[in-house]
Amino acid sequence: MKKSGNLLSKDGTRSVLATLISILIGLVAGAVIILIVGLCDSKLGLTEAWKGIRLIFFGLLSKGQQAGRLIFGFNSTNIGDMLFRAVPIIMTGLSVSLAYKTGLFNIGASGQYLAGTTASLFIALKMNTAVVSPWIVWILAFLGGILAGAFWGSIPGMLKAFLNINEVLACIMTNWLAANIVTWLFEGSGLQCTEGTKTQVIWKTSHNGVATAKMGLDKIFPDSQQIDGGIIIAIIIAILVYILLSKTTLGFELKACGSNRHSAKYAGIRDKRCIILSMALAGALAGAGASLYWLSGTTEFHWQTYLSLPGEGFTGIAVALLGACHPIANIFTGMFMSTLNVAGSKLSFFTGYNEYITDVIIAVIVYLSAFSLLIKTWLGKRAKKAEEKKIPDVVYTSKNMPEGAKPPVSENTGKEGNEQ
Amino acid sequence: MEQATSEAYPYVIEMLHITKEFPGIKANDDITLQLKRGEIHALLGENGAGKSTLMSVLFGLYQPEQGEIRKDGKVVEIKDPNDATALNIGMVHQHFKLVEVFTVLDNIILGAEDTKLGFLQKKQARKKVSELSEKYGLRINMDAKVEDITVGMQQRVEILKMLYRDNDILIFDEPTAVLTPQEIEELMQIMRNLKAEGKSILFISHKLNEIMEVSDRVTVLRKGKYVGTVDTASTNKEELSRMMVGRPVQLVVEKDEAQPKETILKIEGLTVPSKIHKNDAVKNVSLEVHAGEIVCIAGIDGNGQTEFVHALTGLEKPSAGKITLCGKDITKASIRKRALTGMSHIPEDRHKHGLVLDFTLEQNMVLQRYFEPQFQNHGFIKFDAVREYADKLIEEFDVRSGQGPVTKARSMSGGNQQKAIVAREFDRNMPLIVAVQPTRGLDVGAIEYIHSQLVKQRDEGKAVLLVSLELEEVMNLSDRILVMYEGEIVGELDPKQTTTQELGLYMAGAKRQDKEGKAE
Repeated sequence: MKKSGNLLSKDGTRSVLATLISILIGLVAGAVIILIVGLCDSKLGLTEAWKGIRLIFFGLLSKGQQAGRLIFGFNSTNIGDMLFRAVPIIMTGLSVSLAYKTGLFNIGASGQYLAGTTASLFIALKMNTAVVSPWIVWILAFLGGILAGAFWGSIPGMLKAFLNINEVLACIMTNWLAANIVTWLFEGSGLQCTEGTKTQVIWKTSHNGVATAKMGLDKIFPDSQQIDGGIIIAIIIAILVYILLSKTTLGFELKACGSNRHSAKYAGIRDKRCIILSMALAGALAGAGASLYWLSGTTEFHWQTYLSLPGEGFTGIAVALLGACHPIANIFTGMFMSTLNVAGSKLSFFTGYNEYITDVIIAVIVYLSAFSLLIKTWLGKRAKKAEEKKIPDVVYTSKNMPEGAKPPVSENTGKEGNEQ
Repeated sequence: MEQATSEAYPYVIEMLHITKEFPGIKANDDITLQLKRGEIHALLGENGAGKSTLMSVLFGLYQPEQGEIRKDGKVVEIKDPNDATALNIGMVHQHFKLVEVFTVLDNIILGAEDTKLGFLQKKQARKKVSELSEKYGLRINMDAKVEDITVGMQQRVEILKMLYRDNDILIFDEPTAVLTPQEIEELMQIMRNLKAEGKSILFISHKLNEIMEVSDRVTVLRKGKYVGTVDTASTNKEELSRMMVGRPVQLVVEKDEAQPKETILKIEGLTVPSKIHKNDAVKNVSLEVHAGEIVCIAGIDGNGQTEFVHALTGLEKPSAGKITLCGKDITKASIRKRALTGMSHIPEDRHKHGLVLDFTLEQNMVLQRYFEPQFQNHGFIKFDAVREYADKLIEEFDVRSGQGPVTKARSMSGGNQQKAIVAREFDRNMPLIVAVQPTRGLDVGAIEYIHSQLVKQRDEGKAVLLVSLELEEVMNLSDRILVMYEGEIVGELDPKQTTTQELGLYMAGAKRQDKEGKAE
């Protein structure tokens, strides 16, 4: 009892627990949906539903089926693919998190992602690898993606800083601008993939000899076609973002400005610069995510984007929210989201279910992640109750009350009172 | 019949043993308040003592856990403000509840309109309001829009609203906070008139002068508990403040004669455009502040003080003028440059400017100096140094908080938030201190502390530029008073040779000096 009280009273523990509870409720809700759909659909039935539920929870460990029975165990293809697909959404998640921590809501990760995609692919495919060595092209393409993302992110930043235009609106605009510009750019680029029946798709970067280094990961996951060093780079970047936000003076400035632009300005922090920089950094992260995904050499970009935005930008919001916008937590929530993605494909492969059912689960989890603050408060109250039981005569003043039980402090000196 | 029985009972309202708890806090703990018929009863206490909670219980906004309310000796239940209105209880809130774009008359009848076939019948209302305003000396212009009239008149509108509804128990919540001395005097007279007509008044305040002047009895609360009820005639300010704070309080700041030395701040012809109006908010203001003196800019809120300070500290750009600090021209310098050149700034709004509320106390303590080598190394914050520094300031300035340096600023009390800002700004040890309403919303104990700190800084040779709306503070603390009216300095006064009345005339724009300092 004592231990759980102490643990719960820690803010970080509560955040993690709240996230885990959200995920669990989301998965259970998904299971219930699968059950209902299974019972209503005569083609599916209870056995299929049971299969589906197991795949939702353990899809990552699925090793196929024998005689209609699912087999589970370590599957290096699944895990390798999961890690590869986690890379872009970890990065867009970081993008949203960094903006959020600095007081901005970056809904424009999709557009920044597209900007990064375009720049990376153009550099990777247009540069002559016979002259410049492929790994230098890779680095240039990666940096190009980062810069393009940063530029695209800084546009809403500037609009907010100088004209006080809400960044959410500006981001929606820049998203669709990017979607259309990208289509237009690729249409006349001569990069169309000519192979077979594919249309509106461009070459893999490996066509030009450019591909992300495997960094030994192909030894650990030998069956995965896609796994490469991108995940390692993503994890390193996540750690760098964490250090930037919590250990540096720049992070201090960005957070101060995001939390209260007026007091930051009062303290001599250049608020406009901070806003633009935050958005540019967020854009750079999304752009880097795009680079890592498309430079893998195993992916083909479908360039007709003007009708739909890449999902990575919006999944990034879910990744960020679920991880309470903590950069390190984003690594895990990103992997979790991509696990669900893998589970979804297993679901449609082995059962009669549609893989989009995993989108429903993700949607439930995203809604719950918004509630994770509520769950956190609830956990906090439990912790408080536990402590009250220990020391029954404790008096909580406005100073030592936990978050949530506290009235808003305004012009209130209330040392021990509470005037409202 | 009923009238006769109730007349016999001396108390028109009794609140007996009221206890009201909020999660974790007893805002009211066994409080008893008895209001006699036809008296002015003051309710005195520091911020957070539970005055407003108690009144909210009476007005039906909160339900008490324990205790009962009696009207004319009979137990009543007040579940919501409508019940309170039905019992003829009316309240003037600290922040007026008026519709700005409506006329005065519309505001008065709003919610109690007479209608005929769905149409407003304003004629009778107009007659009743004009009778009431005559009877109690409440001067108003019924057809003016509320947004165009003065704060004093807005308050009279609020009072008329209560009278129009035939309320006979009137609650005034901190009514003088927004008024000029002349308006306060007028309000006191109005309250006496109301009393003479048999109304019973509850007067919430923490200003001892007013309580002594107008009330018959005083009930004092401290930290949610009942301290006592005394007759005003048999008590004095010292006793009341002791009851309120729980220890003897120095009401008048003790300070020696100022020893002004060299000029620290020189402002010439400063003009700042207004954000709202076409006119300039600050017009051609020139002044000097010397080391070792406290210069106070007095004035009613909204006469350009805010814009003036913003232009001085760099938050806004002036359109003309020159600012010289410690011999350096800082007219175009950035905010940080000014701060480093020699300026500390205790801002007017501690929540908007002074603190990042979601930051911890220690982060707020280094908000102005996190970039100094002492606290960072190649862009990495030295957390140990920050903690050590915060601990030092917390100790030195007695900043109280739940978890010390890691407390979120938002969860601290207003007084301690202000102390944190004062600690941060004083410890930067700059030759100029710009303090804007440094004691706003604080209680007597905290005010005493901050005043003594300001005087200490002055005695250490700092130049202090104080901007205040509180007359007592202006008179007590300053060595020179500059009165600002509609963006101009209309007079320079010596606090030892002037009176609050004279100061009030300057503040209201009724009097002004010419360039030679003679009254016009």
